Amino acid sequence: MTVPFLQIRGIRKEYGAVTAVDDVTLNVEKGEFLTFLGPSGSGKSTTLYILAGFENPTSGDILLEGKTLLQTPSHKRNIGMVFQRYTLFPHLSVGENIAFPLRVRRLPKAEIDEKVRRMLKLVRLEGYEDRMPAKMSGGQQQRVALARALAYDPPVLLMDEPLSALDKKLREEIQYEIRRIHQETSVTILYVTHDQEEALRLSDRIAVFSRGVIDQTGTGPELYANPATRFVAQFIGDSDFLKGVVAATSGGLADIHLGDETVVTGVPVHGKATAGGNAAVMLRPERINLSRTAGTDRAGIAATVNDITFLGNNTHVATVTSANEALSVRLPFGDTAINGLTTGEKVWITWDPATTHAFCD
Amino acid sequence: MLLNFDKLGMWKWVLTGFSVLVALFLLVPILFIVALSFGSSQWLIFPPPGWTLRWYQELLADPRWLESALTSAKIAIIVTLCSVILGLLASFGLTRGRFAGRETLRALFLTPMIMPVVVLAVALYAFFLKIGLNGTLLGFVIAHLILALPFSIISIGNALDSFDRSIEDAAILCGAHPLEAKLRVTLPGIRHGLFAAAIFSFLVSWDEVVVAIFMASPTLQTLPVKIWATLRQDLTPVIAAASTLLVVFTVVLMIVAALLRKGFKS
Ligand SMILES: Nc1ncnc2c1ncn2[C@@H]1O[C@H](COP(=O)(O)OP(=O)(O)OP(=O)(O)O)[C@@H](O)[C@H]1O
Ligand SMILES: [Mg+2]
Repeated sequence: MTVPFLQIRGIRKEYGAVTAVDDVTLNVEKGEFLTFLGPSGSGKSTTLYILAGFENPTSGDILLEGKTLLQTPSHKRNIGMVFQRYTLFPHLSVGENIAFPLRVRRLPKAEIDEKVRRMLKLVRLEGYEDRMPAKMSGGQQQRVALARALAYDPPVLLMDEPLSALDKKLREEIQYEIRRIHQETSVTILYVTHDQEEALRLSDRIAVFSRGVIDQTGTGPELYANPATRFVAQFIGDSDFLKGVVAATSGGLADIHLGDETVVTGVPVHGKATAGGNAAVMLRPERINLSRTAGTDRAGIAATVNDITFLGNNTHVATVTSANEALSVRLPFGDTAINGLTTGEKVWITWDPATTHAFCD
Repeated sequence: MLLNFDKLGMWKWVLTGFSVLVALFLLVPILFIVALSFGSSQWLIFPPPGWTLRWYQELLADPRWLESALTSAKIAIIVTLCSVILGLLASFGLTRGRFAGRETLRALFLTPMIMPVVVLAVALYAFFLKIGLNGTLLGFVIAHLILALPFSIISIGNALDSFDRSIEDAAILCGAHPLEAKLRVTLPGIRHGLFAAAIFSFLVSWDEVVVAIFMASPTLQTLPVKIWATLRQDLTPVIAAASTLLVVFTVVLMIVAALLRKGFKS
């Protein structure tokens, strides 16, 4: 078996009593675009800073092509990084900024000029060579920062929420730029964000961080279809949770009581499921059906319509179950169930048990 | 802005008038001295009965004035260099360092600014007497450095505080040794702070008189000491001429500083 390109092995980082990163293990393939996705304070940046060498892990190891990086100081790691804040050198022009890592490496001038030109072309900022950073927009500055970080052909590029200071439209524009640049250069990218849409749009794989731990790593569709924890289910896509009680389990599937009368059978279950224990059943608004008459062939639950919102290509129906739990349904445009639906109406919500997940604590 | 000057109505004129009064209050004594330096009366009479350049002639004819000015300049330049370098190192420690007692240390560095200068002067005098530094260039430099350093630490410390550490980190990841990153990226990034520190340090030393009186010897005098000594012997308008030149020099220095700062900004 070949050695993984980048290995993060059991990294822990403690600040006094605070554990910022708790036993993170991850393999990254060469050329992969992997995103750390998680809420604020979940340890994404800390993990990135350990890779960059600005922080030392309390324990654990990092290997690049089989060799440990931890003994190498930051300036010799040859890693590229784009920061959350604008970090262009304020006294140098755009061209000089991009040339900086090459000058530090004492490359011949002709080679530097050629490289700066190619980098400006890569980030589509030809002609901005002599502009000072203060005279550029935030988006342009981050593109120059990207060019500077790629100028020395780093094996790994780290990006710590590089777009979080930009407005939504510009952010999307630069996301596509980043994708294109990733494809053109095939550099390995580790990207940090707390925006799930950004993660889904950019990444080959996503590692979901929660309180210093990676809950799950996988492609966007994998995380969406098969979340390993309730946290991942909440973080990727929309979801509602219904309280239930486990009736019986076998082979990773469970039968679950919802309320008094409903039993859903054959639900994939995660965590420690024991008969009689509590479970939360995850339902995605776009993967459940709404009908006005009770059916028998699928799992279902009664609910009352609370609010109906037309959103263009779909309609959002907010309902409340008899156990007083909120449950959203999203129906595609043209779904006949909506015709004549009014608030206060009693409806029947059904789903395919195999597409839902139950989480036990 | 909380207060919009253009929308103040008639208060605008009250405010303008008040500002002019404050400016006059600050400037009149200086203009007074300038006028006296060109006055023909020996007795510093105002308004002067006539006009003359005699006092400037006398000033330039006496080599001791020039000598004391050069002494002042020499001390001020050495103090400026030392103050900026030490202030830079201290600021790095105080803003970047994480150690117990950091705030106490910062307060300690700033005490010369709030301590009565006379107290400091007497203490230094007594101490230098023991180790034989009174009346020496080194003694002057050390004494003025103590007074200048707080200004340096404040200016450079503020600049360093507002300089984003990530910029230096970016330079390091680009392959620059941490020291090289500081020299090539952080220092240019905080140059306005370094410059302010230099100006303040120079001026603190250049026009300092209290400590200098204690440090001075008959052969080693700074310009302010010379003015003060002359003032005690005979009240000649030459002093007004010297003071005027001192004011002109300081104004020129401030203008150069303002121009350079404008250059940094663009
Ligand atoms: N230098 C430090 N000293 C003490 N605690 C720290 C330090 N740096 C980070 N932490 C703590 O470690 C935890 C993880 O921080 P980290 O910056 O890695 O989070 P993050 O996932 O990047 O969050 P964000 O999305 O807000 O950037 C937080 O609880 C934070 O308070
Ligand atoms: Mg962060």
